[in-house]
Amino acid sequence: MMEKTANEQFTVPIGPQHPALKEPGSFRFNVDGEVVTGATVRLGYAHRGIEKATEGRNFVQNIYLLERICGICSDIHATAYVLAVEQLAGVEAPPRAQAIRILVAELERIHSHLLWVGVAAHEAGFDTLFMYSWRDRETIMDILEGLTGNRVNYSVNLLGGVKVDVDEQQKDTILKGIEFLEERTKHYLDVITKDAMFLQRTRGVGIFTRTQAEVLGAVGPTARASDVARDVRVEAPYGAYKDFPVNMITEKGCDVEARFVVRIRELFESYRLVREILNKLPEGELTARFPRRIKPGEAISRVEAPRGELFYFVKSNGTDKPERVKVRTPTICNMTSVVKLAVGHQLADVPMILVGIDPCFSCNDRAVSIDHHQHGREDWSMEELREYGIRFYHGHT
Amino acid sequence: MKLATMIGDVRTSFFRKPVTQRYPFERRETPERLRGLLNWNGENCSGCNICSMDCPAKAIEVIVIDKKAKRFVMHYQADRCTFCAQCVFSCNHDCISLDSNGWELAALARNAFAIYYGTEDDIKYVLAGPPAPDAEAPVEG
Amino acid sequence: MDILSDLFAILIFPSGLFLLIAGLLYEWADRKLLAQLQNRIGPRWFQPFADVTKLLAKEEVIPTGVNPYLFVGLPIIALAGGLTAALYVPIGGVAPAYSFNGDLIVTLYLLSLLTLCMGLAGSNTMDRFSLVGATRTLTQLFSYEAPFLLALLGPAIVAGSWQISQITNYTNGHWLVLTQPLGFIVVLIGLMGKLELPPFDAPEAETEIVAGALTEYSGRGLAMFRLGKGIEMVIGLTLVAAFYLGGVSNPLWFLVKTLGLLLVVAILQAVLARLRIDQTVGMWWRYGALLVLIQWLFMIGMRVAI
Repeated sequence: MMEKTANEQFTVPIGPQHPALKEPGSFRFNVDGEVVTGATVRLGYAHRGIEKATEGRNFVQNIYLLERICGICSDIHATAYVLAVEQLAGVEAPPRAQAIRILVAELERIHSHLLWVGVAAHEAGFDTLFMYSWRDRETIMDILEGLTGNRVNYSVNLLGGVKVDVDEQQKDTILKGIEFLEERTKHYLDVITKDAMFLQRTRGVGIFTRTQAEVLGAVGPTARASDVARDVRVEAPYGAYKDFPVNMITEKGCDVEARFVVRIRELFESYRLVREILNKLPEGELTARFPRRIKPGEAISRVEAPRGELFYFVKSNGTDKPERVKVRTPTICNMTSVVKLAVGHQLADVPMILVGIDPCFSCNDRAVSIDHHQHGREDWSMEELREYGIRFYHGHT
Repeated sequence: MKLATMIGDVRTSFFRKPVTQRYPFERRETPERLRGLLNWNGENCSGCNICSMDCPAKAIEVIVIDKKAKRFVMHYQADRCTFCAQCVFSCNHDCISLDSNGWELAALARNAFAIYYGTEDDIKYVLAGPPAPDAEAPVEG
Repeated sequence: MDILSDLFAILIFPSGLFLLIAGLLYEWADRKLLAQLQNRIGPRWFQPFADVTKLLAKEEVIPTGVNPYLFVGLPIIALAGGLTAALYVPIGGVAPAYSFNGDLIVTLYLLSLLTLCMGLAGSNTMDRFSLVGATRTLTQLFSYEAPFLLALLGPAIVAGSWQISQITNYTNGHWLVLTQPLGFIVVLIGLMGKLELPPFDAPEAETEIVAGALTEYSGRGLAMFRLGKGIEMVIGLTLVAAFYLGGVSNPLWFLVKTLGLLLVVAILQAVLARLRIDQTVGMWWRYGALLVLIQWLFMIGMRVAI
C-alpha cells in the first residue's frame, strides 16, 4: 500500500503511451497536488536508424526514405535533402521547379498548421474546434492529392527538379480552395482570440520569455511567439524564396495563445504566398540533368519546416551512395522548453504546454548523450559503446 | 471576450448532412494524378534496370531472358511498393505508368501481390524456374 | 401481489431493465446529437449496447495494491444507488413507484453516491492517474452539489413540499423555467457538472489523466460504472424536466422534454471548451451559488409580498 508523508510528491507519467501524446515520448512530472514541481523527458522511442539506412541506399532512393521521417512535414525533409545533394553535384534546378517546390512546401505548411490547431484544441478539451479544423484540412489534402497524387508523402521532389506540373485547372482548384480556407481561418482566429473559455486555457499559460527562448535555442513558431525573429525563409532564403519573399511573423504574448496566433497568421502568410507563386510561376522545364555519381564533398542545407528550422548535412564520397546524412529536426530544439516551462504550472496545463511547441516525436529520434565525466572524449568506438550499454542496463535492472 | 464562438458553425451543421463520405456506398471521383498500382508496357524496354536500381522499396525486378531479342519480364511486388513514382521518372523510355484507379488493393492471399508483366510465354518461362539437374541430357557413360 | 409489484418496479420498470436500456439509448442520443453538431456521423444505435456487451465479456483485471473487495464492490454499489434513485423519480412519464416525504433529498443523495463511489474507486488504487482523477471527481462533487441542490429546492419551495411526487403535481402545467430562470440556468449547468460532461469533464480529461478515476477498471466493473453514468443521465434529465419544464405527465411529454433538454445539453457541450478543475470550483462557488441565492431571495420576497 502507499504511504503518504507530509511532502509526498507523485510522479505522474505522461508517456510513452498516453492519450495526450500522438507519438511516444516519456515525460515524468513530479506533482504536488495539482502543481508541477519538476519534469524530465526521455526521447528516442521512435528511433528507426534512418541515418544509418541512408548509407546503404543510393541518392535517389534516399529521397523517399528521408521523406518518411515524418508524416506531417515529409515534403520539407525531401526538399532539404535534395537541396543539399544539388549543392554537392553543382546542379541547380530550373526556376519553375524551384517555384513548384516551395508551392508544395507552403501547401504543406498550411496542412500542418491546420492539423496542429485541431490537435491543440483537442488537448484543451475543445473537440468542436478540432472537428471543424480537420474538416477544413480535408480541402488542402484534396488539393495536394490532385496536384501531387497522394495525400501524405507527396514525393514531388526529384534530384534536379520536380515531378509534377501546375496547369490552369490545377491553379483554379488551388485558388478556390485557398479562398475557402481563408474565410475559415479568419473565423478560427476569431474563435481563438475571443472565446472566453478557450482563453482560460491558453492565455497566461506557458510563458516563455524572450531571453529564455534565445538561451534555450528555440526555433520556429515557438520562438516567434516569444518575439524572437527567427525564420530561415527570411534570414537565409533558399530556392525560390529569393524571388518570393516572406514576411516574418512574431508575437509578443509569449504564452500558448501567442503560439496559436503566430501559426494562424502564418497561415494567412502562406495563403498570400501560394497566390503569388501561382500567379507568377516562371516558365521553363521541370528537371535538370543529374549525374548518378556525385563528386566527393560536404553540403549543408537549412530550411524552414512548419515546426522550425530543419538542418541537413550530406557528405558524399564519389559513389552513388552518400557517406553520411545527418538530420537535425526543430522539435529537438524546442523540447527543453517544455521541461523548463512545466514547473510551476498546474497538471492540466502541461498538455497545452507540450502541444504548444508542436511536437513531432518521429522527427526527433536522434538523441545523443555524451558522458564527459567518464570518458572525456566525444566519440566512442563500437566496443566502448557496447561495454557502456552492458554497464548501463545492468546497473538499472 | 465572447462565449460560445463556434455557435454559428454548430447551428449550420445541425441542419446539414454530415461531411463524412460513407465509403463504400459513396465513392468520390479519383483524381487523375493519383499514384496507384504500377503498369508496365514492355515494348520500349531496353533492360537497363535503372527502375529497379532507383526503387526505394526494391519492389521491381526486370528479369532479362534475352537482352538482344528484347525479351523481358517485370516482376513487380505490389506489397513492397510505396507508390512513389520514382520509376516512372527514372525510366528513359516511358515504359512505366501508375494507374490512378488502382488504389483498392486488398487481397486475401499474399500471392495476389506478386505481379508479372510481359508476354504469356515469357512469364511462363520465368515462373517455371531453372531446369532441374536431371532434366539435362544424360551424360554418356 | 405486493411483492410482485415491488419486484416489477425494481427489476423491470421503472428501474432495472427499462432504466438500463434507457440509459444506453440516451447515451447514444447524446453522442449522435453531438456528432450532428460537429458535422459528422455519430455511432449507430446499438453502439452503447455493443460497448457494454464487449466489456462484460472481458476479463476483469484486479491490479496489485488495491483492496479487492472495494475494487469489485464499488461499481455494484454505484449502480445500485443509481437504480434505487429511479424509484422515486417520474421516469417514463408515469408516477414514481414509491414516494414519501423528503424523497427529494434521498434521491439526490443516491445520485451523489454514484459519484462518490467513482471517487473512492479512484482512490483505491496506486495508479497516479486514478488518484488525480479521484481528487478531481471529489472536488467537483463538493463544488456543484450545493448549488444544484439549492436550484432543485426552488420548485420545492414554491410547491411547498419535499416530496417529488407532490412537487411534480404542482409543476404539471407550470413552466417554472419562465418564473425561475436563474434557477434553471444553475440547475442545467449543475446537471452537466454532475454528469461530468464537457466543459466539466476535468475529472475524466482524456488528454491529461487518461480516464480519471476509472483508469484501472476493465471488464465488468467498467461496464457497471458506464451503465451507472447512463442512468444518472436519465434520472438527472427527468428531474430537471419534471421540475422546471412543466412536469412529465405522460410518456410522450417525457420523451419530448427530456430529449429537448438533451439537445440543449449537447449544444452546450459542443460550444464550450473544458475548464480546469480550479476554474470549475471557482466558477461554482462564485457565480453558481450567488445566482441561486439571488433566485431564492427573489422567490422568498415574492412570497412574502404576496
